[in-house]
Amino acid sequence: MTQQPTTETGANTSYVPVPVKRRGISWARIGRTAWFVAVPVVIALIIGAIALLIGGQQPLEIYGMLVQEAFGDGARINATLTAATPLIFTGLAAAIAFRGGVFNVGVEGSFAFAGLAAAVVGARVGGMPPVLAITACCVAGILAGMLVALVPALLRTWLKVDEVVSTLMFNFIVTGVIAWLVQSFFLAPGQANSSTEYVAESAELPPLMPPGQLSAGFLIAIVLVAFYAVWVKRSQLGFEFDAVGGAPRFSSAQGLRVRTVLMTAMLASGAIGGLGGAVHALGVVHRFSVGFSANFGFTGIAIALLARFNPVGVVVGAIAFGALAAAGATVQLFINIPIQLIDILQGTVMMLAVAKFAIPRLRRRLKQSVNGTEPIA
Amino acid sequence: MIDSIINLTLLLAVPLVLAALGGAIHRRAGVVNIGLEGQMLVGAFVGILASAGTGSWFVGVLAGGAAGAVAGLIMSLVITRLSANEIIVGLGFNIVVLGIVGFVLRTLFGVSGTLRFPDQPRIPRIDIPGIQDIPVLGAILSGKDVLFWACIVLIPVLVWLFANTRWGIRTRATGVAEPAAASLGIRTLGLRDTAGTLAGLLAGLGGVALALGVSGLFNENMIAGRGYVALAAFYFGRSKPLPTALACLLFSFFDSLQIRLQTSGGISADLIQTLPYIAVVAVLAWTGFTGLRKRSRMAV
Repeated sequence: MTQQPTTETGANTSYVPVPVKRRGISWARIGRTAWFVAVPVVIALIIGAIALLIGGQQPLEIYGMLVQEAFGDGARINATLTAATPLIFTGLAAAIAFRGGVFNVGVEGSFAFAGLAAAVVGARVGGMPPVLAITACCVAGILAGMLVALVPALLRTWLKVDEVVSTLMFNFIVTGVIAWLVQSFFLAPGQANSSTEYVAESAELPPLMPPGQLSAGFLIAIVLVAFYAVWVKRSQLGFEFDAVGGAPRFSSAQGLRVRTVLMTAMLASGAIGGLGGAVHALGVVHRFSVGFSANFGFTGIAIALLARFNPVGVVVGAIAFGALAAAGATVQLFINIPIQLIDILQGTVMMLAVAKFAIPRLRRRLKQSVNGTEPIA
Repeated sequence: MIDSIINLTLLLAVPLVLAALGGAIHRRAGVVNIGLEGQMLVGAFVGILASAGTGSWFVGVLAGGAAGAVAGLIMSLVITRLSANEIIVGLGFNIVVLGIVGFVLRTLFGVSGTLRFPDQPRIPRIDIPGIQDIPVLGAILSGKDVLFWACIVLIPVLVWLFANTRWGIRTRATGVAEPAAASLGIRTLGLRDTAGTLAGLLAGLGGVALALGVSGLFNENMIAGRGYVALAAFYFGRSKPLPTALACLLFSFFDSLQIRLQTSGGISADLIQTLPYIAVVAVLAWTGFTGLRKRSRMAV
């Protein structure tokens, strides 16, 4: 398959799969989804509980406290949503790539590089009106994010190079390049740790509820999710994404634009991750410093997988992980539980979110034997 | 200067070679092992604890290797028996391991980050009497520890195992064409679990080499991406033992060059550290390019 095949075969046989529309709520599907989400989460909570017991804590008490700290009152919800904002972006970035059938694990790199780009631009747009300054920073971030995804995207589309490994490698390349750029060019004078200058005030994203940190970036994220939800269901390219993601060879045989889909998926993923980095730089950190991205890119992968690329699921997942991060940080202050508990929960969810648990298969086999048809072994 | 760079290169290569050979075995069985980083961390942690607890470096080596093997088996079971994507499982596994190790460090030992015991046993280095004074040869052969020599032995043994034993051939068959191998009655999942366990064992030993051979203490960030460099190495060496080991040697040479040249400036250390990863992308691109040419030639 060295070139995109043309489907002019003479016979009018091209068949495009049309999803069968069922009316009403599909309870079976909801049940499957719930099972799919519940198993990894419950196992992660159990492993976290074991860790807490080893540390001499009451797991249920701690979990209750985490929920209380995450959603207890307005200020806490504000903190939770602030922590969720970058995760919505990275989750969406991962979801859009996975939907098109490419595993982009380089969102982390896009996010960080875009953060640097936005911070650097933001420090130099002091004279501009806020709207223009913020737009300039976001565009810089989007371009930076796409730049990180560009080489793996080209390699994947034209040379069929496995994008998982190349994007993973690009994370490290980007990390090194960022450290070099910050050290050599953008270091703020008189700072102990290596970070850039603060962005100009006009480039800061305005807070939504002033004492809290929640910025207008959250609104950008929600708008983006809504756009994604409509685009996936209602656009031609969105349909092609699903088809190519589900069955790439079949899609290319049907004349769907496989290369366009792969390229768009990678670049859009980089761009969304980049926008997330820019928003994080302008809305929360106000500069770029070491440890800018707290594994947001990888958490985003876990969220996208748990949500099965569903837009609402991405938002819910991002809020859940955001709550965990925000509450974990505050609980750590007055009880002696290390923040690493969050890593344990998150990593376990990530490991198991892609696992297929055998019980549905067992049930199907039972149903078949009830119907009297033996499964063909 | 040359002697010290050679010495440091070989010293830093041992953990890399061990982990990369483990990754190469797993890759030959058809699984890309992203979890080497976590398995090295487990090995280093348990190795330090066991050796400090018993006062014997040998127990530390055994325990670290065993812990790595268990970690590798757990990860492999999730991949094979729950048919989960190996990349995501590996990434998640690394996060979990980092979390568990950090959690245990803080709750049970009450330290944040670095764990150091007062009379920590180290792996003894073997000086070879006649050779150690010869300039370059002495730096290459003398003053190395057991794990270094284990690496030297392991490379030809692995080549032989893959070429000549039933296990090696079946493992390779599983990696090349899993459905075909399974259709011939080979227990592919079991072979993959074995390969995953071996990968964990070797990565764990790599962690021990880092903890007991190089640094003599434990830090939760001590692996510092070496698992991913090992991944880069076996990609670079196309999962063949000798080229993989040579790739490790190349990468650890960059590393030691950067440590030794740190004071003299020049090219940024941050950029030098990206070289292994750039090398992998270049190799992947080249493989893709030649594959493309081959395919189009067949089409013509």
